[in-house]
Amino acid sequence: MKNLNINHRKVETYEVLELAGELDAHTASKLENTLKQLISQKKHQIIVNCEELDYIASAGLGVFMAYIEDVRSMGGDIKLSNMNPKVYNVFDLLGFPTLYDIVQKEEQAIQKFQTDESE
Amino acid sequence: MNRSVNQQEDHQSRFELKTLLETSRMLVESQDMDFVLNNLLLISMGKLMVSRAMVIIYQPASDIYEVSKSKGQHCPPEGERLSFSFGSDVKEQSVIQCGIDDIELPELLEGEDRCTLFNLQTSNNHIGFLCLGSKGNNQPLSPHEIEFIESLSIISSVAIANSRMFTELRQINRKLDRKVYELNTLFDLSKDFNIMVDRQEIIRIFKFAMLGQMLIRKFFFVLEHEGQREMVTTSGIRKAPDVQDIDTLFELEEDLTEVDGDLQNAIPFLEENEIRAVIGLRFQSEKIALVGVGARANGEAYSPSDYNFLRSLGNLALLSIQKTYLLEERIEKERLEEELDIAKSIQKGLLPDPIPQNDLLDIAARNISSSQVGGDYFDILETPDKRLLFAIGDVTGKGIPAALLMANLQAMLHVLLPTDVTLSEATGQVNNIIYHNTPADKFITFFWGVIDPVDRSFRYINAGHNPPLWFKAGADEPVELEEGGLILGAMATFTPYQEQTVILSEGDLLVFYTDGVTEAMNQDGTEEFGEERLLKCIQQHRPKTSTEIEQAIIDRVMAFSQGIQSDDITLIVIKVD
Repeated sequence: MKNLNINHRKVETYEVLELAGELDAHTASKLENTLKQLISQKKHQIIVNCEELDYIASAGLGVFMAYIEDVRSMGGDIKLSNMNPKVYNVFDLLGFPTLYDIVQKEEQAIQKFQTDESE
Repeated sequence: MNRSVNQQEDHQSRFELKTLLETSRMLVESQDMDFVLNNLLLISMGKLMVSRAMVIIYQPASDIYEVSKSKGQHCPPEGERLSFSFGSDVKEQSVIQCGIDDIELPELLEGEDRCTLFNLQTSNNHIGFLCLGSKGNNQPLSPHEIEFIESLSIISSVAIANSRMFTELRQINRKLDRKVYELNTLFDLSKDFNIMVDRQEIIRIFKFAMLGQMLIRKFFFVLEHEGQREMVTTSGIRKAPDVQDIDTLFELEEDLTEVDGDLQNAIPFLEENEIRAVIGLRFQSEKIALVGVGARANGEAYSPSDYNFLRSLGNLALLSIQKTYLLEERIEKERLEEELDIAKSIQKGLLPDPIPQNDLLDIAARNISSSQVGGDYFDILETPDKRLLFAIGDVTGKGIPAALLMANLQAMLHVLLPTDVTLSEATGQVNNIIYHNTPADKFITFFWGVIDPVDRSFRYINAGHNPPLWFKAGADEPVELEEGGLILGAMATFTPYQEQTVILSEGDLLVFYTDGVTEAMNQDGTEEFGEERLLKCIQQHRPKTSTEIEQAIIDRVMAFSQGIQSDDITLIVIKVD
């Protein structure tokens, strides 16, 4: 059975979610629950580290669409980092780079949060 | 011509050829339009020593020219749109020299009346013009120079056409990639949905797939089930629409409706939530679901192909959701059947087994139920004073309600049996209870009687049941046992049920039956088995044992109805030995 593991850690004041495995129809709700939980705790500076993410399907992408407004309306953001080329290709194909900050490294996501704040 | 001039010209033309060759090599390899134009301008300007130049590109759709690249002072800015009323002959002309050729042209470069236009064209396509200002020394271009720039223009035109084609191909490729990905999504989800039985999960995945694939933020999904239209999932929707709005949306004629001002006025919910399109989904040609989508977050409009995808995904989800309902119905049905099976075995337990026997009587009794549970009832009981009670009854209707009432009657009989009441009193009491406990349309036809084996008396009451047949020994025609009173449950007991007593003798035959015997239909449904056939059958088999007679009747009825039994069949056959 395909699976998705989500490891949650904190870097400074940022919530980092490390995704490992496959984000598809079966595992989308797992990410949904994690995001919901963060939002309910008013933690909205979220970095999703996709280093170990092997595969993503539309349903997985949909989770990001469903919660981005909530997060941004509270002054936060969801930034994505460390994607392998295959996963990035899917994000790119569907036009996500125009809507989300997708960066090479987790540190760049943190820097972006910091510049966002100073603006 | 002297030799040094010759040498110089030779040198120059070799240099030009080299330039052209290098440029063409460079341009052919480049798929970058910007690079091509830049080179064209810089080489032309350097070679001819002009300080202003630009490339204008023709836009066939709007019949205008757009400044694609310009260099030098007071040139129109890049991106500016220019409109000329050229004849088509101009678009075919290779070189146009303003102020020399007899062609009226507006001022292209500010304060410039000596500019030269070089046509950028391929064999079948006019691309635009390279527009050069006048030379630094204000001299006209020499034929040699014109020839060189013409060659350069041809090479550049090919390169521009190439880069355009390349860009187009890249776009087509990307579109194709997207299409392939859409198909993959549909394929994957059809597999995923197939193994899902949780309706909520299917609905949730459907939503996420929609949002993710199409970059949608506002979304709602309305599903109709058993006449109820309900919003089953949403995303980014602030307030649900009221029932009337949903009904209006269901009544939209087209399955795909792009929301316009009129519709927004009619249903403010659509405007409040920035819904752009509403798609109706059908199951077995009935519109039973609606999907509403807001704008795509990347600002792109929905293409017909996007709508097709939305509809395909919607249909897939709808089908899977309907499947879960059907599955639930089947499980429910199986559960019900299981319960009916249990009910049947309980009901069977209410009938006497084994049939009580008596030395002086040859008794046979059978009940064949048509459905899982039925409304026929019979009983044979020994009273405390060693007499035998026979009862037969038929509850109106079939199934569980009839079976419940039958069980009720059975219980009353068994409670009344040991008490010291007459048949008439007991019947009156049973009738009252049935009358009070059941709806007006529930009745029981009922016959019961008590045989005293010692004096062979048979005391009975018939409450609206098919009269049992009493064949006296030696007589061909039976006596019908009719006396008694009203059918049970029709009204409260006012006048007591009348008991009747007959005396049986050796060789007498009694046949009790329910209407499942006489009302069995032939295969065409045109004729009932009837009392005549029953009578004949009994007469034919009269000398046989009660069990054999009973079997003969059942065989005859089954043959008549070709084995199709629509009602319960119950028989009691008693021979007096």
